[in-house]
Amino acid sequence: MPSELDAIVAELRDSDRQERIDLLLDFARQLPPLPDRLLAHKDASHRVEECQSPVYLFVEFDGAKARLFADAPIEAPTVRGFVSILLTGLDGATIEEILAVPADLVEQSGLTEILGMLRVRGLSGVLRRLKAEVTRAAIAHNQAGDPKPVSSS
Amino acid sequence: MADTYANPEILVSADWVVDHLNDPKVRIVESDEDILLYDLAHVPGSVRIDWQGDLQDQLIRDYVNAEKFAAICARAGIANDTTVVFYGDKSNWWACYAFWAFKLFGHDDCRVMNGGRKLWFDQGRPTTTEIPKYAPTHYTVKGSIPERIRILRDEVLTHAQAGRPLIDVRSPKEFTGEKLHMEDYPQEGALRGGHIPGAKNVPWTRAVNDDGTFKSAAELRAIFETEIGLKPSDPVVAYCRIGERSSLTWFVLTYLLGYPNARNYDGSWTEWGNLVGAPIAKGA
Repeated sequence: MPSELDAIVAELRDSDRQERIDLLLDFARQLPPLPDRLLAHKDASHRVEECQSPVYLFVEFDGAKARLFADAPIEAPTVRGFVSILLTGLDGATIEEILAVPADLVEQSGLTEILGMLRVRGLSGVLRRLKAEVTRAAIAHNQAGDPKPVSSS
Repeated sequence: MADTYANPEILVSADWVVDHLNDPKVRIVESDEDILLYDLAHVPGSVRIDWQGDLQDQLIRDYVNAEKFAAICARAGIANDTTVVFYGDKSNWWACYAFWAFKLFGHDDCRVMNGGRKLWFDQGRPTTTEIPKYAPTHYTVKGSIPERIRILRDEVLTHAQAGRPLIDVRSPKEFTGEKLHMEDYPQEGALRGGHIPGAKNVPWTRAVNDDGTFKSAAELRAIFETEIGLKPSDPVVAYCRIGERSSLTWFVLTYLLGYPNARNYDGSWTEWGNLVGAPIAKGA
């Protein structure tokens, strides 16, 4: 797991209930707005289906580095906070690093304790969707003709 | 009059809450699906009571015991004679759940703020991020008669077999058995889909307006009496998936329409759909 994400997970895990809530809310408040060029693309193909709130994920590649963008309403602060954690912890990571993020990240962060199983499943869906998006974007990126192709020459 | 609630005082308006923000006899309680909403901003002076983290036992699938409930109230500055006003997200769905749990423990004076969190924020009323501190009270659980408003699985079976009324408040696809959960919500682990035989489907959302307020008494009667055929003396049981949506319907039947024998089956589909040998009906 990239060290940035590892540090956030460790901080969450070592916090008490109220500290975790505050931390998650800080992340929710800090989620940067979607760049203008992506605003027009908030459609079903970028929507996280597992979330009841409208959450959109976008992945672009800058060489081998993934650039992540997302939109989630502030009225759904828990999912917005979790999305913001993923963006902060994984922006600039490689596809291999993102795919290697443990599927039980939500549990490892101690969020099950404050959110309960019901609310945690939606968050796990965000991570699954992010991995699928990263894979899709990487394939599209390679097909479009990467100036430095990673495939065998 | 047909268009009056049976217990109109049970609903308070946002204006009423504004007038009682500093009333020491009143405590405003926020209960949400997303617990971070309270920290984002809340009604000034309100406290958060979470249905899952506070009111549910963390080991056994049940509510906390009387001692723990008393501690929650004491910490929130709620005394036995405090008027507790619940509000929350999702048209007060979770607020009604907390209301029902408070009634399980026999708390006397519970109300719901009509319109909930959404209407309060939509109307631009005052909010704060400040977490209030109240002097702890001495709270004693008394007058608790949970069997009057709660029904457990064994009795649900005899209730269904006797042909007594059951209202399934889940979405139509959950009722028919096509889906095991609401659209866009996670599957919560029921092994079989369908409904309790004899149950009638009245999705909980039919009781509320788009702005989060409850429908009028005439509109509610048209649904539950004209359409479904219930009458106030009926021993009606409401259920859903984990007992939360049905607590809103229970609230509507008990307080807005005046059905003294309405109960909530909180085991609901996550229990019934997993019970070995429990009878199930499928389809509309």
